Amino acid sequence: MRTEHLWKIYPQDPRPVEAVRGVDLTVWRGEFVAMAGPSGSGKTTMLNLVGGLTRPTRGKVWIEGEEISALSDRRLADLRMHRIGFVFQSYNLLPVLSALENAEFTLLLQGVPAAERRGRVRELFREIGLEGLEDRRPPKLSGGQQQRVAVARAVLGDPALVLADEPTANLDSHTAEALLDVMERLNRTKGTTFVFSTHDPRVMERARRLIRLVDGQIESDHAESG
Amino acid sequence: MARRDNDIWWRMAWRNLWRNRRRTAITASALSFGFVAAVLMIALMDGMLEQLVSNGTRVITGQVQIHADDYRPERSMHDTMGGREGLDLAALVGAAGSVEGVTGVAPRAYGGGLISSGDETAGAVLMGIDPRREEGVSRFGTSFVVGGMPGPGEIAIGNAMAGTIGTAPGEEVVVVAPAADGSMGNELFTVSGIFRLGMGGFDDAYVLVELGSLQDLMAMDRSRIHEVAISVDRADQADGVAARVEEAVAGLADSLVVEPWSVFHEQLYFMTSMMGAANAIVAMIIFGMAIFGVANTMLLATFERRREFAVARSLGTSARSIVRIVVCEGLFLGLVSLGAGALLAAPVVVYFHEFPLDLSSFIGTYSFMGSAMQPLMTVEYSWDGPLVSAVALIGTGVASALYPAWRAIRVPPADALASR
Repeated sequence: MRTEHLWKIYPQDPRPVEAVRGVDLTVWRGEFVAMAGPSGSGKTTMLNLVGGLTRPTRGKVWIEGEEISALSDRRLADLRMHRIGFVFQSYNLLPVLSALENAEFTLLLQGVPAAERRGRVRELFREIGLEGLEDRRPPKLSGGQQQRVAVARAVLGDPALVLADEPTANLDSHTAEALLDVMERLNRTKGTTFVFSTHDPRVMERARRLIRLVDGQIESDHAESG
Repeated sequence: MARRDNDIWWRMAWRNLWRNRRRTAITASALSFGFVAAVLMIALMDGMLEQLVSNGTRVITGQVQIHADDYRPERSMHDTMGGREGLDLAALVGAAGSVEGVTGVAPRAYGGGLISSGDETAGAVLMGIDPRREEGVSRFGTSFVVGGMPGPGEIAIGNAMAGTIGTAPGEEVVVVAPAADGSMGNELFTVSGIFRLGMGGFDDAYVLVELGSLQDLMAMDRSRIHEVAISVDRADQADGVAARVEEAVAGLADSLVVEPWSVFHEQLYFMTSMMGAANAIVAMIIFGMAIFGVANTMLLATFERRREFAVARSLGTSARSIVRIVVCEGLFLGLVSLGAGALLAAPVVVYFHEFPLDLSSFIGTYSFMGSAMQPLMTVEYSWDGPLVSAVALIGTGVASALYPAWRAIRVPPADALASR
């Protein structure tokens, strides 16, 4: 994933808000990256720009070599379906679907046959401790369980990139650690690239690259050695 | 690529519909009552139409008629079927009577004349009939206040005319009428009965004469008649019966025309067509009003779920699939309302069919477009009303969802996800 001189300005009275200001960033395949910074530093806006959920005011974004800033809404939806997974702070599972149906949603959009979908979901559910909860609807799951279903939904479609917006913010420390274990394991075993926005020190500790954003700009970018 | 599982959108729509059961129940109730109102109103209109058509055609004219092609509209006494030679009347009646759907065939001749009793005289339409055959086509036979159908040398008179000339059954009247040979026919007839159809234009102007007696009075051969009136099983099938009768009688004389009531009762047909259109307008008004209420409710429901739509879009769901979910919800809402509405409408329609609303305390029998209307609001069984209303109801559900669906895909995912 690469951004080049990326800007996002929200028109607002009395002055426009410059949420992201000329960010140049490259994230390589298989990285486990945390973007940290205070509220309003532009972390979520960066994830939205990279994920094609909002368009840049200026600058460009490439995902696996494809420049996405000028793609049509339909092509962007297609790109998100095949190459990008999202994990949100407040889980954002679809309440009318069961845990299994939520997890297989992206696979369903991709047109994966039902038997294969179900097999993949059940296998991952076993790995991440959700076995036996397949038929429960989100309100019947704990916060940690919901977030693990959201992670399953994000990674099951084999995306090149998973964008996680403060995924541990609503979880207690034990559950947050368990969730990070899951994501770290998926990163190591499947090679899935993770980019987090976070305030959480535990996430920053686990990240192998830490980018600090302040006022929409990169203040520091440290990769763990080795 | 494997086939996509489209049923997920249907499942989501169905489950979404029941997330707020109370709201769905209230909205569906409004649509169901709209359905019941539309079905009942259309059934009442159909009942009135049936009465209008039935009375307009079953009292005198029948639903199909045969004439010489130049008889209408002047109705000249010379324009008899088969010309001045006439035709084989028994063969004509037999051929028409053998057609499927025909329940009665009555040959008729018409003339105009004066009828006198004592010092009183009145103009009259002389209607020559075969009393036995007339029973199967018109209601003259059951409309006698006193006396009965005329035999040879007899005449039956409407109650209004009987009052005008001051006569009664058993008394003699003189009838004077222009004859087909240019002379003036006149004859003494005995009054056989007084009828009352309840229709001003007939009770004060028509007199019934036995067919042979009228032909003699008008110096016409017994093979000459002006009209064959035919009754059929169902008035709405008159067009088909007329076509079959035309085929059956084609070889019996030149230039015979066979017409269904929609042709010779042009005004009545126009009126029934107008009422058919009025039914559609009634349904449109009822469901047109419902659209705004339902759309408002659905708009609120989609607004509440804008975050979910944003999530679905961020996962790669196409705008088309979002539209499909919302429109399917509208469709399901329509189907649920239809089910409830049908359960409510059925007993209401059956009740009013069995027990028509009797308005006789407010209005009496009245004549409308040549049809004697009873002061009863009857409900007619028909699939048309429920079908039109069902289509309108489903259409309302779907149409109500279109704007909310459009709004749902206009939600910018990042904005909706940012909102709490």
